[in-house]
Amino acid sequence: MPLIEDLEPRARDGRAPDVFSHGDWVPMRCYGDAEEVDFVIVGTGAGGGTLAGKLAEAGFSVVAMDAGPFWRPLEDFASDERHQDKLYWLEDRLSEGDDPIALGSNNSGCAVGGSTVHYQMVALRFRPEWFRSRSLLGYGHDWPVDWRRMWQCYDEVEEALKIAGPVRYPWGPKRGRYPYREHELNASAHVLARACEAMGVDWAACPNATVSAPHGKSPPCVYRGFCKIGCATNAKQSTLNTFVPRALAAGAEIRDLATVTRIETGRDGRAAGVLYHRDGEWRRQKARNVVVAGYSIETPRLLLNSASPAHPGGLANSSGLVGKNLMVHANHAVWGRFEEEIRWYKGPPSLAVCEHWNYADDHKDFFGGYAFMSQGPLPADFATTVADAEGIFGMELRQRMADYNHMAGLKIVGETMPQERNRVELADETDPLGVPRARVTYSMCDNDRALSDHSVRFMREAMAGAGGQQLFTSEGTAHLMGGCRMGFTPEDSVVDGDGRSWDVPNLWVCDGSLFPTGGGVNPSMTIMALAVHIADRIKTLAARGEV
Amino acid sequence: MRDVRPDHLRQVRKPLPEWRRPRGHGGDTRHTTGRMLGVLGLAACGLVVAQALNARKPRPRAEPRAAAAAKVRHGAMALAGSVAADSLMEHFRGGYCNDAMYLAPAVAGTALAATAVRPPATPRDDAVARDVAHAASLVTGTAGLAFHVWNIGKRPGGLTSMNNLFYAAPVGAPGGLAASGLYGLAEGRLRRAPIMPPRVEGRLLAGLTALNLLATSAEAGLLHFRGAFQNPFMFVPVTAPPAAALVLGAAAADPAAGLRRLARAACWTTAAAGAAGVAFHAWGVHRNHGGWRNWRQNLIQGPPVAAPPAFVGLGLAGLGALDLMDIRDEGRR
Repeated sequence: MPLIEDLEPRARDGRAPDVFSHGDWVPMRCYGDAEEVDFVIVGTGAGGGTLAGKLAEAGFSVVAMDAGPFWRPLEDFASDERHQDKLYWLEDRLSEGDDPIALGSNNSGCAVGGSTVHYQMVALRFRPEWFRSRSLLGYGHDWPVDWRRMWQCYDEVEEALKIAGPVRYPWGPKRGRYPYREHELNASAHVLARACEAMGVDWAACPNATVSAPHGKSPPCVYRGFCKIGCATNAKQSTLNTFVPRALAAGAEIRDLATVTRIETGRDGRAAGVLYHRDGEWRRQKARNVVVAGYSIETPRLLLNSASPAHPGGLANSSGLVGKNLMVHANHAVWGRFEEEIRWYKGPPSLAVCEHWNYADDHKDFFGGYAFMSQGPLPADFATTVADAEGIFGMELRQRMADYNHMAGLKIVGETMPQERNRVELADETDPLGVPRARVTYSMCDNDRALSDHSVRFMREAMAGAGGQQLFTSEGTAHLMGGCRMGFTPEDSVVDGDGRSWDVPNLWVCDGSLFPTGGGVNPSMTIMALAVHIADRIKTLAARGEV
Repeated sequence: MRDVRPDHLRQVRKPLPEWRRPRGHGGDTRHTTGRMLGVLGLAACGLVVAQALNARKPRPRAEPRAAAAAKVRHGAMALAGSVAADSLMEHFRGGYCNDAMYLAPAVAGTALAATAVRPPATPRDDAVARDVAHAASLVTGTAGLAFHVWNIGKRPGGLTSMNNLFYAAPVGAPGGLAASGLYGLAEGRLRRAPIMPPRVEGRLLAGLTALNLLATSAEAGLLHFRGAFQNPFMFVPVTAPPAAALVLGAAAADPAAGLRRLARAACWTTAAAGAAGVAFHAWGVHRNHGGWRNWRQNLIQGPPVAAPPAFVGLGLAGLGALDLMDIRDEGRR
């Protein structure tokens, strides 16, 4: 396996990798650079990949580019944590602030399929009230999309990914049945169940984006447990093996290892296409519409780097909000040792979930909510956690790791507040392609700390109730949200409720950077639901001649 | 292995009592594979011997009641065979972590032998041995039902948790063994010591079979629901057998000729669906990661290839019951 830098694009000359095969191909329609396509999409993750599939199926001509390689999971993914670092966006970024974010494995992917190739498959929906959190709950911002509309889109995404979820979900409004049934709980999930029962709160099997029965060419999950570093059986439903193949079948072109560095604008101020680097060459793709789907750091970075005389502060940035209001999820965890063997690496890492504190509003000394899930980190991942949290290394760490099979943990996905000071900017330093690197500034606010503290107190008590001993706590963050907020007016947001830029009418954003608030659940389902929503809106607008 | 844990972890913990200690997880699977292959080999030898014994016996002209009894016996045989193979595999999957788990394949294997050997034309002293084997099936199957319920109930969430119903011991599976025992005992009565007119025997057996069909269909329904009915053919075992149960039950209540004909067709359909189920499950095994090349894992991970023949058994038993009901009809003529 060559290093990523040495890889060559695979999707070209009329064919793209067949992700369900060893070495095979599927036919791919190809467009010329000078051919003005309906949409060029930058990024093929939860937002871009989903949108590419939906738009291609609607009959638009689509070229989707990704800076990462086009993997075939069956042949390219190894059961080796370090090797699989190749799935992360590890290019240097400057991380600053009071609580600088660790960038890479927990929040940015670099592959066709984006972060969904390495996500933990936790497939939760936003609480309905969160879409109006300012009006109903008194914090953050309202979303310009109604929750009922979003729930229709969740339905479509869950069906496309055949989410395996519980028959009865204890929280939120009544929802239809998950397309596939929940997976068997592992011992780690049983710890969460016992912990919740000890605290008197509900728990449920966690809806997961890995199939519990065959789905097309995806075999049912075999519970290898290497999910987070890339599923090598295709049981995991990422955009790489769902919407991207659909996009290809519907006539979209996917260009892997194609790094878009600039969105070009015409004299009328509209987007004209993108400048990108692929296979050692600088090229330009003409397009009638440009969609940016590079996630909360690369999307603002690309928009800021596309400044022109007509858009001096960066593209779509008349509000000055591009790159602002970056959010993460608090990712605090409580770990403990159990008398019995747990073997938490068996199966998907998060098979049980408690969303109690997402839906309970009383007895909280903070805004927002959090969910916590059972855990199953692989050894190197967990050793890093122990070393960081306990400050031990060498023989002492080795001795602690001897208990690996007896460990269990609960980890939160906790909502943080949108703050304008948390932002993405362009640094003076440039990357090898000459593009200014991203400077990411992040600081937690008092509310974020209150939420994390509450979760740690609650989980410690719960873990003790489940029989956990020698408890210890770790801190961290996961996921990214915000940076190109969607909103109601050009002054308070970068794009409207359709993901369309207020400033440049043929420029769209379709990824997690749209989030006005972060919510207390993993963002992938919501990003994909937004992509479905935006695709539907584009179809409607195009039918009216407004695209 | 050297204990590398630090002192504070090395403190003496109360050891788990023997019965709670985990066993058979991974470490001795080769051991278990050996045992499993051994049992399979024994079962195969048994069948060969049974076949040889059958061949030696002169075939008597089939008297109607004996012919019906033979169908019931074949039904019991299909059920016993299905349970023997299925429990062998599924309990292997469970690592035979409880010794009682060996009982199911062993008793079902004995029942298979007892039903596979054609009985002699005149009642001989093997009657007791046969009845003991079938009674053992009935008792083991019934105890198995209780054991499986206990296994489901002890997990977090208990008997009300769908996760436990999906993935703990299958709640109704041991019922197949109990049913095989019942049919085996009934066959003995029919052949050796009829105490009722065939019409009554037929109606009783038909009623019993209708209930068994419903129970087995419910079990298949639960597990196919777990599989999200991802293939439309997965609806077959939740439609054909209940339909057969309905008409068979109706025929038991009112043995009119029309109903019996309909019930006969339904029983044949159910038996055919059971046979087709083996093929469908074999296809299902292929849809698991690695397909049939990875048979060692996928026979266990995939749909149980040995389970659907239970419907063959129930279909045959239903046909036997209908044959008995027909005898009365003929007598009237």
